[in-house]
Amino acid sequence: MAINQADMKRNSLTAKRGVILLCVFLAVLLIALVGRLGFLTIVKGEEYRVKAENQQYNASTVASSRGAIYDSNMNVIAQTASVWLIYVNPSKVTDKNREDVIRGLVDILGVDEESLRKNIAERSSYGYYRIKSEVEYNEKTEIMTYAREKKITDVIFNDPDTKRYYPDGTLASTVIGFTGSDGYGLNGLEYYYDDALTGVDGKIYTLQDGNSNDLENGKEVYYEPVNGENHVLTLNNEIQTILRSACLTALKENGAENVYGVVMNTKTGAVLGMCNVPDYDSNDPFTIADAATLERIEAIIDEEEKDKAISEARYSQWKNKAVADYYYPGSVYKVFLVAGAMEEGVINENTSYTCHGTISVGDRTVKDYNPIGHGAETPLTLLVNSCNTFSVYVGQQMGIELFYKYFDAFGFTEKTGVDLPGETTPVPGVTYHSPDVSFTNSNLVSVSFGQSNQVTPMQIATAVSAIGNGGKLMTPYIVKKTVDDIGNTINETVPQVKRQVVSESTAKTVASYMEEVVKRGTGANAYVAGYHVAGKTGTSEKTGVEEIKYIASFAGFAPCDDPEITVVIIIDAPSGAVYSGGDIAAPVAGEVFEKVLPYLGVEPSYTESELAKLSEPAPELVGMSVSAAKSELAGTQHSVRVIGNGDTVVSQSPEAGRTTPSNGVIVLYTEENIPEETAQVPDFSGMTVSQANQLAVSRGFNIKISGSSFSSSSVIAYKQEYSEGTELEIGSSITVYFRTSGISD
Amino acid sequence: MNESVARRKNSTQRNYSKTDNGLMSFAVGAIKDKGGLFAKGAFDLKLFIFLAVALVFGLVMLYSASYPDGYSAAGDPAYYFKKQLTGVIIGAVLMIMISKINYKMFMEIGGIGGSLVSMGLLVLVLVMGENEDGSSIKRWMRIGPIEFQPSDIAKLTLILTLSYVLYILHPYVVSKKPLRWTAAQKINALVGKPVLNESAIAVFICAVIILAYVGLVLIGSHLSGAIIMMGIAVVVLYTGEVRLTWFALGIVCCIIAFAFAYFTGIIKPYQIQRILSFVGDNEDPLGADWQTNQALYAIGSGGFFGKGLGQSIQKYDYVPEPQNDMIYSIIVEELGFVGGVAIIILFALIIWRGTVIGINSTTRYGAMVAFGITFKLAMQVALNIGVATDFIPNTGITLPFFSYGRTALVVNLIEMGVLLSISRSSRIRKD
Repeated sequence: MAINQADMKRNSLTAKRGVILLCVFLAVLLIALVGRLGFLTIVKGEEYRVKAENQQYNASTVASSRGAIYDSNMNVIAQTASVWLIYVNPSKVTDKNREDVIRGLVDILGVDEESLRKNIAERSSYGYYRIKSEVEYNEKTEIMTYAREKKITDVIFNDPDTKRYYPDGTLASTVIGFTGSDGYGLNGLEYYYDDALTGVDGKIYTLQDGNSNDLENGKEVYYEPVNGENHVLTLNNEIQTILRSACLTALKENGAENVYGVVMNTKTGAVLGMCNVPDYDSNDPFTIADAATLERIEAIIDEEEKDKAISEARYSQWKNKAVADYYYPGSVYKVFLVAGAMEEGVINENTSYTCHGTISVGDRTVKDYNPIGHGAETPLTLLVNSCNTFSVYVGQQMGIELFYKYFDAFGFTEKTGVDLPGETTPVPGVTYHSPDVSFTNSNLVSVSFGQSNQVTPMQIATAVSAIGNGGKLMTPYIVKKTVDDIGNTINETVPQVKRQVVSESTAKTVASYMEEVVKRGTGANAYVAGYHVAGKTGTSEKTGVEEIKYIASFAGFAPCDDPEITVVIIIDAPSGAVYSGGDIAAPVAGEVFEKVLPYLGVEPSYTESELAKLSEPAPELVGMSVSAAKSELAGTQHSVRVIGNGDTVVSQSPEAGRTTPSNGVIVLYTEENIPEETAQVPDFSGMTVSQANQLAVSRGFNIKISGSSFSSSSVIAYKQEYSEGTELEIGSSITVYFRTSGISD
Repeated sequence: MNESVARRKNSTQRNYSKTDNGLMSFAVGAIKDKGGLFAKGAFDLKLFIFLAVALVFGLVMLYSASYPDGYSAAGDPAYYFKKQLTGVIIGAVLMIMISKINYKMFMEIGGIGGSLVSMGLLVLVLVMGENEDGSSIKRWMRIGPIEFQPSDIAKLTLILTLSYVLYILHPYVVSKKPLRWTAAQKINALVGKPVLNESAIAVFICAVIILAYVGLVLIGSHLSGAIIMMGIAVVVLYTGEVRLTWFALGIVCCIIAFAFAYFTGIIKPYQIQRILSFVGDNEDPLGADWQTNQALYAIGSGGFFGKGLGQSIQKYDYVPEPQNDMIYSIIVEELGFVGGVAIIILFALIIWRGTVIGINSTTRYGAMVAFGITFKLAMQVALNIGVATDFIPNTGITLPFFSYGRTALVVNLIEMGVLLSISRSSRIRKD
């Protein structure tokens, strides 16, 4: 009994002794675990939750659709279309279905049968073989319908894809650029606005198990894609077409290396047209488009050299040289020299200078291209004659600081800021002389007539526009606005005035000088009757090349007193004997002015002398064969209408020698007894001169313009010789009376 | 009523007098001497309720965690749940049955018979054991339809055996009488104190038993099993009044043995590493990292309140076999910090009851068994949650009552039955 009690007591005591320690140990352990759990769930919870969700949610992309690019009239320049990729699972091709598979792919998709058979046979253990990409909707539907009919949908598959289309891929390729196979922009506007065009891909987050299978009833998180913005350009397809074809002609005719052209809205800086030829097709950017270049590359034997040449040619054709390349502006720069000097009062309209053909500055003597000199000159004739000696004199009068002040002010030391990729940044001491770096008095001589300081075509376009725009330098731009899918405007570009470079009166004066340059000076080839083209030509020598090469250029705007467009044409390295800007660049610009201004609805305002030239006596055509008569008239602006089936002209209207509008119509009769064709006289009231003429010619009539004043473009018809509806023999002349409208009182 | 109480008291007292009368009585302990085949008195209701809660809670969470694996393994989301449910039913019935049996009945059967069976199974599993991935680890075996880990059973029999031996040898354990052997006398004379006394015999026998168990388990590359067995052994020895000096000596012996092997070049550093990697459960460190990370993601995802019952995503093939070792992480993902703490508290309560039952046990044997079982449970819980929360390296220990595994569940419930049986005679409030 005593032992029992002792045992019980001892047991209880010893147990307690041991257990307290163990309990404390366990309590500490459990509390530590609670602490650890709290740390993991509360402190680290967010981190682990994110990590967990990253592995649990499978993100699949819903591609956003790339925005389209439109011209200023909403014509499509670039757009993305759905296409499909067709592929097969070769491992599912059996002896039973092989012929069906091959027939379908060959007949519908036009795949080469022989290589298809070979490839399918070789890949019989693989699950994927790509048949054709960029398959259009109709073709894809056809092949998939066929697959269903033949029960081979386990062999033939399609994947949606997109393709970038450029309806006219060559029109403005160096401006628009192109996209890569992944759909991202690689060049041009496609590259510059890639983010905005791309939009934001949508995402679907699907809950998956550890083996990447979607969980049934699993949560799905869907983020809608934001489609890319559609970009509406200031670039106009019509103007671009006119500009590019003019540039291409110039490239060919002059055997030049490159021709650059820019058409800009003088007052806003909006780029209406821009081209660099030779260029390429945005639909096929990797093919060398220029035949001459391609021929040169084909001739290379060494493969490595050839690849290098191809790569260089590609980069060259992709380059938008109008913003990326420098050149010496030559005499075009004299415009800015004179403007700056007049603004500073260094010279005025009456400043006189006598040109002897040479001028010496320090130990340097500059010869003018006219060895006997231009004689007595004023700033007007400086530009009209493009006199180098006077320019050097003006430059010396200004000095380095003042000269540089205007070189800087006209924007030649900075990027123009146009929204295009690849615009080069001028570098002082490298591309131009800055007083801080390399500007010496000797340099001042060269830069005064446009050598030694380099500029880009785009800089010249904006600087010349500043002269036409009352001295205001604009920031050029090419995207007019961005719109969403349903046409709402997202962003609209507001024209930005960079600065007032020279006063309005200085600008007006220099502009009037430039008009004289075109009227009677070196720019005469850019003359367009009624449109008051103002401009300046330039010819500069290229440096850093083996043989002597030139750059011929023209920069100008029209109409002079209220400019609508600025045109810059630069012909790089013409190979012909004729290479001056006035000879080869001015006519290109003239053609662009002549076609673009009427397209823009700018009314010509003829001077009296121009008007006189507008009418001329009709040539004697009776007795000639029809084809001979037509070729006779081909050199004039007359339209021709032939009535009758004979071969010889038996009579004509108007008769030979009779005064006829130079852009009127001449009717040729080829049969004796044919009744004279008549038409109804239309109503000309309220029309402008050109509208009235166009209408008259379309009906087969000629108009005789009558009125007191033609100097203003705001003249409209108010009276006509024959009243509306009168039947009149076609070819007849109708006198239409014009008068100035909207006289302000 | 009064009569029966009196009889019970009487029989209990007689039992003590018989068993404690001398060393000789242990071999012939008749059932009558131990107070009858059946235990008398009520069991600890609190413990029973906590266990019931743990079983129901465990089943619910197992169903949720095993849902995806059940579906992919057998096409039946409730596949593991159904199997576990049978385990719970069998285990609960056994628990209640065993709780009715007088725990002293297990002295010889558990202590001698149990160890013989366990040793046999542990050897057998090394010979014919199975593993799922073809690695060298052999810890599972199959007898008929039953697949089980012998080490699960061995842990229980180790408790029973050590408790039994220490109980029988208690006079030796606490004895300070010097050993009469010449060698021992010389050493005692040398030290000047009777260091080699009769307790050395008891400790030596225990050490042999422990080394046999741990050795066999280690050969089977089951480090976690060995760790738990060592823990159990320490706790049982400690409650069996083995003097602390022996523990100190044990630790010193371990260090000396290891240092000797190391410095004499018997084992080289790379061998240690190899041994560690061989013995360790971490046969696939990358896989283990994956598992640990996935468990952490699950726990982190749960946050404070969890995603809601059944809402775990990590159980879908992220956490491997989410119904097994890592079930705690899935529970926290679904029930959050709150649920995680609730489970810790639930186990703390069970451990508390087990400790109270042990302290108040009327026999040292009961106390030792109760502590052994309770601390075994505590170690498993701590190690499992420690692994799930990346507190300790991956060891492969399941969470009692929650993790899938019917053998472990049934063995755990048998242990709880023993604990309940001890509680019937413990001097505690039973309500």
